[in-house]
Amino acid sequence: MINRVTKTIPAGTKWFDMVHVSGRSTPVKFRNNRLHSLTENENSGTGVRLNIEGRTGFSSTNDDSNIERIAKTAASLARFGDIENFTLPSDTVSLFDPYDPEIETFDLQKEIIACESAIDELTRRFPGINIDMGITSSTGSIHLANSSGVDISYRDSYYSASISATLVLSDGARIETWEGESHTRPEPFSAMTAGIAEKIEQAMTVRKIESGMYPVLLPPQAFGRLLGLVISGFSAVPVWKGISPMAGKQGQSLFSEKLTVKDNPLIKGSPYSIPFDAEGVNVKEKFLIKNGVVDTFIADLKYAERLGIAPTGNAARGYASLPGPAFTGIEVNPGSEPHETMLSSIKRGIVPHQFIGLGQSNTITGDFAAAMDLAYLVEDGRITGRVKDCMISGNIIKLLAGEIELSSDRERRGSSMLPWVLLPQVNITA
Amino acid sequence: MNEKLYAAVEKGKELVSSGIFEFAEIRLSSGSGTSISLSGENTDAVTSADSVAGSVRVLKNGSWGFATFNDLSSVEKFFRSAVNSATIVAPGIKSGIAAGKALTAKFTTKMSRDFNSVSIDEKFELLNGYNKILRNAEHIQTTRAVYRDGHSDYVYLNSEGSHLEYDRSYCGISLASVAKKGAIVQPYSESVSGYGGFEITENRDVLAEKVVKTACDMLDAETVEGGRYRVILDPKLSGVFIHEAFGHLSEADFVCENPSMREVMVLGRQFGPPELNVIDDGSIEHIAGYIPFDDEGILPSKTSLIRDGMLSGRLHSRETADKMNEETTGNGRAIGVMKQPIVRMTNTYIENGPHSRDEIFAAMDDGLYAASYIGGQTNLEMFTFTAAYGYRVKNGKPGKMFRDIILSGNVFTTLKNISMIGNDREMFGGLGGCGKGGQGPLPVTLGGPHIMVNDVLIGGEK
Repeated sequence: MINRVTKTIPAGTKWFDMVHVSGRSTPVKFRNNRLHSLTENENSGTGVRLNIEGRTGFSSTNDDSNIERIAKTAASLARFGDIENFTLPSDTVSLFDPYDPEIETFDLQKEIIACESAIDELTRRFPGINIDMGITSSTGSIHLANSSGVDISYRDSYYSASISATLVLSDGARIETWEGESHTRPEPFSAMTAGIAEKIEQAMTVRKIESGMYPVLLPPQAFGRLLGLVISGFSAVPVWKGISPMAGKQGQSLFSEKLTVKDNPLIKGSPYSIPFDAEGVNVKEKFLIKNGVVDTFIADLKYAERLGIAPTGNAARGYASLPGPAFTGIEVNPGSEPHETMLSSIKRGIVPHQFIGLGQSNTITGDFAAAMDLAYLVEDGRITGRVKDCMISGNIIKLLAGEIELSSDRERRGSSMLPWVLLPQVNITA
Repeated sequence: MNEKLYAAVEKGKELVSSGIFEFAEIRLSSGSGTSISLSGENTDAVTSADSVAGSVRVLKNGSWGFATFNDLSSVEKFFRSAVNSATIVAPGIKSGIAAGKALTAKFTTKMSRDFNSVSIDEKFELLNGYNKILRNAEHIQTTRAVYRDGHSDYVYLNSEGSHLEYDRSYCGISLASVAKKGAIVQPYSESVSGYGGFEITENRDVLAEKVVKTACDMLDAETVEGGRYRVILDPKLSGVFIHEAFGHLSEADFVCENPSMREVMVLGRQFGPPELNVIDDGSIEHIAGYIPFDDEGILPSKTSLIRDGMLSGRLHSRETADKMNEETTGNGRAIGVMKQPIVRMTNTYIENGPHSRDEIFAAMDDGLYAASYIGGQTNLEMFTFTAAYGYRVKNGKPGKMFRDIILSGNVFTTLKNISMIGNDREMFGGLGGCGKGGQGPLPVTLGGPHIMVNDVLIGGEK
């Protein structure tokens, strides 16, 4: 496919790169406690970026019969682009193979039986509960080529399982929670079922609280949501545009010295790990925050040139989009004590697992406010029930500059490896 | 329609009439689009893309098989794949589907100016003009102006004999300014979109001027103190309110197989004051939530969701209508051909009430006026939505400005707290949309008149 495009690159093109992406997946969906549908998906497409007289154009297609036309279209759009003088890489190295042959052991019947078993267990334990489940196995390939001589490709594999449970109580109160995991090959998912059951069990009792300042223990997934508001400021795009609160702060200590955050494209077992980035730049682990100090901003070739820094191997793209800087895997260094010990130290506090509306406000400077979808009251070191109809708010940058504690245990949630985090004083409106 | 799509349609008609299943449908599309994105004094991207897509959905022995592909010449192969998927497992509880009429029709988007005949230079210059306005104030740090158009030939075929075609043209702009003063960074954006031509995006200087002025005004606004307030919502925010606080709850897939929810959502239940009427109507042409037919081959309808304050209807796909033994409503929608249709809203709004805007303000001794929106979310019991800005109201007069007002409530109690409904309904859609089940943003329109709501929880520090 790539060769067909290469032949059509117009004369006068200063540089070009192109990406061809293809994938096949077989999602299984359970809806309302029963098998609902089996699916087979196939898709592929090609995108071409080329630079003429310093300006860049882009076009894409997933229609095989249009392949020969996209380079010409990209060339016709280049005159609108900004001047870009970066150089495409010529020394791309693939650091590992993200394809696990075990993906081929995916057994549909076995997966369906495992789902039915999980649903049986939860419906027996919580009569009236509604369970949705999804299992997906997919494989794909990415082929990248450019005018500097790079012509490299890899296959990848992906397996995911998810459970969403909804229990409506007799008073109309609704408990909805979910768990999900992803791997490069099929893995047993019984721990998810146990996690769902525990969260529902703890939510059966509702406790009233007053507005005020509370210690808040964030589980990894909830911490990841809030940390995302901070980390977005480490992308070269808002830094260059002057709207990141991190702009001009490299080397400054803005956070607790206990906080170290890395962008790690090589987290073991993560299906989101990549052997090189979407422009062919070699990838490596880098510090975003090192012992509380602002360290590295992530950049693709374009924004690295604009900021006058070296590209960090963080370009991401689909076939239908231009590359842009994106985090690969967020890894937060662990603390010294298990989260159970942190929980037991709380006299009266909150453990929020899920939020509603987080991020749907102006979060550029770290301000946030969200309703707590699923959160628990902690009294004398143990969870005593669910808190409802209340909101959490604050500035996450300031909160992470305070006396935080991180757990020694971590969980991989999607592309991130995260600990539990204890924030000593957070505003709760009830 | 190009030759490849035409050939796939002809083959598809044969396949869906082969009769070895309870129901089968094929959806096919072929289209192209342009996108321009400007930021500050820079061009972020000017791109062009074309795409083809196909899918087959088959119901056999109570089990669904679904297949998607982008090689339209392979429609027969993927049809067999979908049939095979539907027969791999015999489910204990079978899926069913409400019957539809066999429909044959062609729908075309009415355009004053076909954007396909507008040069890329003119599109760029139009957006560049707006972007200059967005930058034109002292404290503007950066901007983001986006133009997007897309045209597709969409074909729907099913085993009931339906053959529907839609020459769909969608177009819109999104305009944002980001103001900065010291450590305060304040974005504000507006967006318009709809089914039509280039005219949707023209003559929007006033909108761009509003964006830049509001972003700058918000620099001096404070965040509101958390607590419970009486609030007046502007028409845009009342649309978001009804979308989040009730619209999703009216989607029958959340109800149909959940006995507890069926008890809660019984028709006739009082949800709001007698003046409250809520409608979903996908047949309103041109605006973002318009559909000539849904993605299951059902024509859209004007569905009354709340009438005189009482639950009067709900939104259905064919499957949920069958489960609940109710009429289809034409709300089985997918974000694209490669996704399965699920129950979604279209154009959802609060109908006009008896009060003028002035009457509503005059009735407020002390409270907040909340305007425009950034976003919203619900878990079908609690909901939040964010007003971009607002004002303290005392004795009917707007005063001090606030930014980022994040409102939260309970879907079963907050609607009952609506105390006044205005008579100035407006409808809003943009390049964004609604997300559900991994499908988003789906174009929808929302709207309403000014409304007053008592006892709304607002997040923030004391």
